[in-house]
Amino acid sequence: MRALEPWVGPPLQEFLAESSARVTLLMTSAGQVVAQHGFTRSLDVMSAAALGAGIMASTDELARLMGSGRFGAMVHQGARQGMYLSAFDTPRGRWIGLVVFGPETSVGLVQLFFQQFVDELAAAAPPEAPQGPVLAENFERELNASLRALFGR
Amino acid sequence: MSLVNFTAREITCKIVYYGPGRSGKTTNLQYVFGRVPETRRGRMVSLATHGDRTLFFDFLPIDLGSISGFTTKFQLYTVPGQSYYNATRKLVLQGADGVVFVADSQARRFDDNLESLQNLQENLLEQGVDIRQLPVVFQYNKQDLPPDLVLSHEDLDDALNFRGVHSFAADALHGSGVFETLKGISELVLRRLADGSPAA
Repeated sequence: MRALEPWVGPPLQEFLAESSARVTLLMTSAGQVVAQHGFTRSLDVMSAAALGAGIMASTDELARLMGSGRFGAMVHQGARQGMYLSAFDTPRGRWIGLVVFGPETSVGLVQLFFQQFVDELAAAAPPEAPQGPVLAENFERELNASLRALFGR
Repeated sequence: MSLVNFTAREITCKIVYYGPGRSGKTTNLQYVFGRVPETRRGRMVSLATHGDRTLFFDFLPIDLGSISGFTTKFQLYTVPGQSYYNATRKLVLQGADGVVFVADSQARRFDDNLESLQNLQENLLEQGVDIRQLPVVFQYNKQDLPPDLVLSHEDLDDALNFRGVHSFAADALHGSGVFETLKGISELVLRRLADGSPAA
């Protein structure tokens, strides 16, 4: 399990255990991963988050064009596994959950426990996001070295 | 907005390549994808039409390595350039930490560059972002074309770069200027993160 902030961990672990889902990714509406749990090695996490955020953003926009408000969630059911995608508000802004599940559970259970998970997240969130100095003032030298290494120059 | 994981000491930033259709945004990402070692980049995802025009976005995650003790990752996105796709452009632009404006240096594309730049400003404003507060660099692509077809770096700076931000001449197809552009925007985005001040 990986989480940007530790308070996300316990509700996420509980959700995965109760719903019997295989993978859960939490991401910002810009597509950046804030937490991941489950068999994430089976998934290209960053690409999945970018695509999930794209689907959610375009669905929200379609809903707006149709005058429907926001759609709560989306489900895609495949032969071997399904995907549940839902956006929700947190004290840290709007997040998106992408849940991959197999035949060992059902979309109904995933949906049920997901709502519970969202409520628990809201209750667990500390009021302030952690703040602090991030990069040293003279980070440019390290950045230049990293970019040179990346491009082989 | 940049995500900073203090526990795992990890930074993730979102960079969007913006500009008119066929200016070379996807080509920039393809060049980066081709040059960066496999261990330092993810898969490049392209949501394109059958004619290879960007439909929604291209996406390429790269790992810059450790900077000030933080594992630093950049997520590179392109937008679809054609004016028809403005709704999707707005979606991709959400939460951008920096923008590379890829202009087409051909004289005949002058108006398209201006229109796209105006569109960028409008779309950012709609999201409550003042372009003057966001790290932006310009890339003048296709400078390898015959001189009578393209505008010079100086002419393009005069026409587009009102704020005098960093600008780079490029030939993205062969890689010239691609690295310099990425370095330029990376510095601005990380500088902003380091001191919390607006980008210069």
